[in-house]
Amino acid sequence: MTIDHDELQNLKVGSNRRGCGTLAFILLTATVLAFSQTPGKAPSITMAAVPLTTAQRAKATMVNLNFRVPSGYHINSNTPKSEFLIPTALKMDLPTDIVLGKIEYPAGEEANFPFSPDEKLSVYTGDFTIAVAVHPLHSVVPGKYVMHGALRYQACDNAACYPPKALPLSFEVKVVKEPPEHHANPAQSPHIHN
Amino acid sequence: MNGVLFVKRNPLTLVVVAFAVALMLYVGFHAARRSGPGFAPHLTHSSLAPDFSLESLDGQTTRLSDYRGKAVLLNFWATWCGPCKIEMPWFVELQNQYASQGLQIVGVAMDDASKEDISKFAKDMGVNYPILIGKESVGDQYGGVPALPESFLIGRDGKIVDKIIGLRGKAEIEDSIRKALDTKTASSQASAAGKNTTSQ
Repeated sequence: MTIDHDELQNLKVGSNRRGCGTLAFILLTATVLAFSQTPGKAPSITMAAVPLTTAQRAKATMVNLNFRVPSGYHINSNTPKSEFLIPTALKMDLPTDIVLGKIEYPAGEEANFPFSPDEKLSVYTGDFTIAVAVHPLHSVVPGKYVMHGALRYQACDNAACYPPKALPLSFEVKVVKEPPEHHANPAQSPHIHN
Repeated sequence: MNGVLFVKRNPLTLVVVAFAVALMLYVGFHAARRSGPGFAPHLTHSSLAPDFSLESLDGQTTRLSDYRGKAVLLNFWATWCGPCKIEMPWFVELQNQYASQGLQIVGVAMDDASKEDISKFAKDMGVNYPILIGKESVGDQYGGVPALPESFLIGRDGKIVDKIIGLRGKAEIEDSIRKALDTKTASSQASAAGKNTTSQ
């Protein structure tokens, strides 16, 4: 099998391009890693889009809100271990007639940090979920409602802490009527039609 | 082209190049973190530390310029800041150790906690230096103080000698304190300049 000059050139150009691509990828990765914890810029917690939730009237429906803490950072859990630490807290502004039930926070992850070698802190890192109970009253007109609120948190990395921030959030709930009550036929007395 | 072919032949070169670049970025990033002007563009070494007036925990109004002639470690902190809590016992020790040489540590509490809570926190930590109740405007004068702890080392002449962002080792803080203590007051600089002029 022989390879002519043009094919050889094409092979060289192809391998050069692959080499450049790999080098560019590694350099980009190195840059991202080196600057992934640039101090001075407070990290931002993000919330995944919440799918439309159907909530039946007169019944509590749980809505899961999925948050993500950027890599290398942590935020206090809802129950930090010191009175001075700022807990992560969700505050919702609900429309009239839609009652906010309890908010379920995940348990914090107990972790040591370089600045707390002897004291475990209760924190959230990576992905975590907060569940909110939405309870439309019987009087609510069926339809779509947007719930607004904010997640208050205070983040730190291994060497510095950032001022408390609030992440505004919203999600949609479709309120539907409760199913019609099922009226079972009462057992008839054999004497009724006598 | 040849260079790229060389890289193709030696995948190890890619790793070495990437490592070297990452190392350079890391070193540059940490140099910037320690004292980079990028954090507070208007505050660089030798800038005069912006003066301010704040209320202390004991209700006194304190101006930064009240400490002119001393080396000052101006520490921005907050009760919710874990790394700040680590530094405080060091500051207590360093204040004791260097007070006779003219060091004054000044804490500026940058949080929304009540004065009572800040007092309780400082008392629990055994703080032996003045704590001032911070204001956003003062933080802005010092580049916004976007991360805590953040400390400025100010020489006897009122000029910024060093800046430390985030938790660093006690030895590094002590080095910066010595740098600030080694500075001369503005008046002694002027008299030294006068002597030089006379001797010429």
